[in-house]
Amino acid sequence: MSYLLTEEQQLIRMNARDFAKEHLEPRAVHLDKSDEFPATTIKLMAEHDLLSWFLPEAFGGAEVGYLSYVLGIEELSKASAAVASIIVNHMSAAYAVNRWGSAQQKQRHLPALIKGETLGALALTESGPSVGEGPNAVIATKQADGFVLTGNKSFVANAGRAGLYVVFACTDPLAGGKSLAAFLVDAKAEGLEIGLKKRMMGLRGRPIADVTFRNVAAELLGPAESGVAMCSELLSVLAIAEAAQTVGITAAALEHAGKYAQQRVQFGRPIGAFEAIQTMLAEIATNCHVARHAVYHAATLIEQGEPFSAEAAMVKLFSQRLGMHSLLDTVQIEGGYGYSEEMLMAKLFRDVSGTTIAESPMEFPEKLIAASIA
Amino acid sequence: MNICLTNSQFLCSCIWETASGRSSNGRTCRPQRKADPMLLTSEQQEIQRSARNFTNTHIVPIAAEYDLKGEFPEFIVEEARKAGYLAMGIPKQFGGQDLSSVTQGVILEELGIGCAGIATAISVNGLGYYAPLIAGTDEQKKFYFTPIVEGGLSSFALTEPSAGSDVRGAKTTAKKVGDEYILNGSKCFITNGAFATIFALTDPSKGLKGLSAFIVEGGSPGLVVSKHENKLGIRCSNTVELVLQDLHVPASHLLGKEGDGMKIAMQSLDMARPMVGAQSVGIAQRALDECLKYFRDKYPDLRKIGQAIQFKLADMRIQIETARQIVRHALAVKDAGLPITVDSAIAKTVGSDTAMRVTTDALALLGAYGYSSDCVVEKLVRDAKIQQLYEGTNQVQRIVIAAQLLASLQPQTAATKAGG
Repeated sequence: MSYLLTEEQQLIRMNARDFAKEHLEPRAVHLDKSDEFPATTIKLMAEHDLLSWFLPEAFGGAEVGYLSYVLGIEELSKASAAVASIIVNHMSAAYAVNRWGSAQQKQRHLPALIKGETLGALALTESGPSVGEGPNAVIATKQADGFVLTGNKSFVANAGRAGLYVVFACTDPLAGGKSLAAFLVDAKAEGLEIGLKKRMMGLRGRPIADVTFRNVAAELLGPAESGVAMCSELLSVLAIAEAAQTVGITAAALEHAGKYAQQRVQFGRPIGAFEAIQTMLAEIATNCHVARHAVYHAATLIEQGEPFSAEAAMVKLFSQRLGMHSLLDTVQIEGGYGYSEEMLMAKLFRDVSGTTIAESPMEFPEKLIAASIA
Repeated sequence: MNICLTNSQFLCSCIWETASGRSSNGRTCRPQRKADPMLLTSEQQEIQRSARNFTNTHIVPIAAEYDLKGEFPEFIVEEARKAGYLAMGIPKQFGGQDLSSVTQGVILEELGIGCAGIATAISVNGLGYYAPLIAGTDEQKKFYFTPIVEGGLSSFALTEPSAGSDVRGAKTTAKKVGDEYILNGSKCFITNGAFATIFALTDPSKGLKGLSAFIVEGGSPGLVVSKHENKLGIRCSNTVELVLQDLHVPASHLLGKEGDGMKIAMQSLDMARPMVGAQSVGIAQRALDECLKYFRDKYPDLRKIGQAIQFKLADMRIQIETARQIVRHALAVKDAGLPITVDSAIAKTVGSDTAMRVTTDALALLGAYGYSSDCVVEKLVRDAKIQQLYEGTNQVQRIVIAAQLLASLQPQTAATKAGG
């Protein structure tokens, strides 16, 4: 596939791979067991320019484009999907600031996000049926000097560690989700409260918590009337990066299971010599290959300013199947050892499930894809 | 379109009402299904109700805590004894309940709804006592069954580090010295118990034809319980490595004859596999229950639940009901005294594959909530995975089924050649 990648992109991928091998891999198991935010690692990543990717040089960013970004995320995910997930959420917030922020907002936030002084977070999910519905929906009320937010967001990744929250909130409670607008909220703002850290099945080390807003001062990001479209675009960008994570984890699992199949002898030969195992490995490799190229293609569309929402949804749909199915099979290949938490595969299985979950049951990718076929 | 939750006929447990109370709008999502008239007798339905009650009282409230700790809830053994679940397949003359296989499956499904780790302790206890049931003398049965009836768990030690799917890799030996056998070797991924059926080679030169089965008391000198396995799922089930160091076993504890081990092991597994299917159906049922509970709590207006979700829920129900009936069929075949090997393999495969698919579908439906420990679904996914692995991986089940198919084509040779 290297015909697709420029020398620069190959180099970026190599650098990310080297960094991941040296700094993420040795700590990945500890991170999973301790579930403690990897603050020093994130700082180190900022120093290695791994928090900026597509962000403009004008603010100190690497400005290497979205394809390089997903290449990097894929590599980081092979070693530690939790760290990669922290970065993906950070980059999604940064994407929003860069894409819709005023010159002043960009100047204020982007350098800090790029240098890792501020971690970004995206607050979208709510406990109601969909965003803007339900008793705890976050409502933005206009005041003389800006907006204040009130309500509750659930399952916010990077919560408690982020310095800047990109929050989608309704400006009109009666209109619900149709009146979504994006806001920037400083983590230190009065009235912002972080709930108890949630224990998750995987991606441990990435903090997740509910965030409660009680009359919290917020700054409008982008045009208020475009909130729904902005939210959808941001979720598409997020979906592509998460699919890159799924591909990375799956590739790591495939490599691990492949090696295991060569070493594990049953019935007088390595189990990899059995067609039943070969079939499983081949299926995973094929799906992984297809998903990887679909991710690269979708990222290239963003880079070239083309519409990418349908492709992002396809990538999400396909990677949902890829991740779960592949990891169920790689655990199966490794048998009792794959099921043991002393070995790597169980962790990879728990992690992959987290990269493929939906924002809400109502927002499934099939809907977007079907809408694009008319 | 209304999803018609209020008048659907789900085979239901009372988990929701005990675990989380009624929903704010007073709807109960799963009305009690009155009966399962097709297959279960009124006595079996009564047993089912009481197992459901057992699950809601003793298992549901503590399952998450013990999953997190990775500890076995010891007290459950006494409760299970009182309920008659430890000796449910043991004949009445030895103090057991002597329940039919179908009835045992009904109980295991209900326990599986609560916690597959606890259900495993009960089902593996069965696997542990099937060997004496199949091949034991009355004296051996009495010796082995009495402590189980009185409140101990039994276990089944076949797997070794080099002998997983392929039992031929077994290295544990049993050497006859006087009126004793001396066992040496190690067994892994063993669900721990007070009593065990241990398989060892009495004649290593004969390969599997030299495998024999022994009953061994837990705590015997030379039987070292070495390490508690930290697992992805069924974390509360106590899985250990057994190291056998000059373990002395009286010759009278040999089950059947020397060399009968493989036959006994395979017959035991034939009996146990549909039980794995049954508890798997329980896992899947719980996942569907949790999805419905989620939609009940989250969507004040059920009409807003679109067709995509409705169909997913319907698919779950279709798969669960299919698996449930396949499992009961295999168990009914067993009760009728017919050959069970293939039906048993099918029941285990369909049950466990259903549990895996339904739980992962539930995880996909419930998003971040399902992925968090706030919800039991992530545990169900982890618990479902082992069902495809233990008591013969689902690949091994396919080997068994394919071997039988090919044997029917060429009765002389295919059965042996298809293995692997």
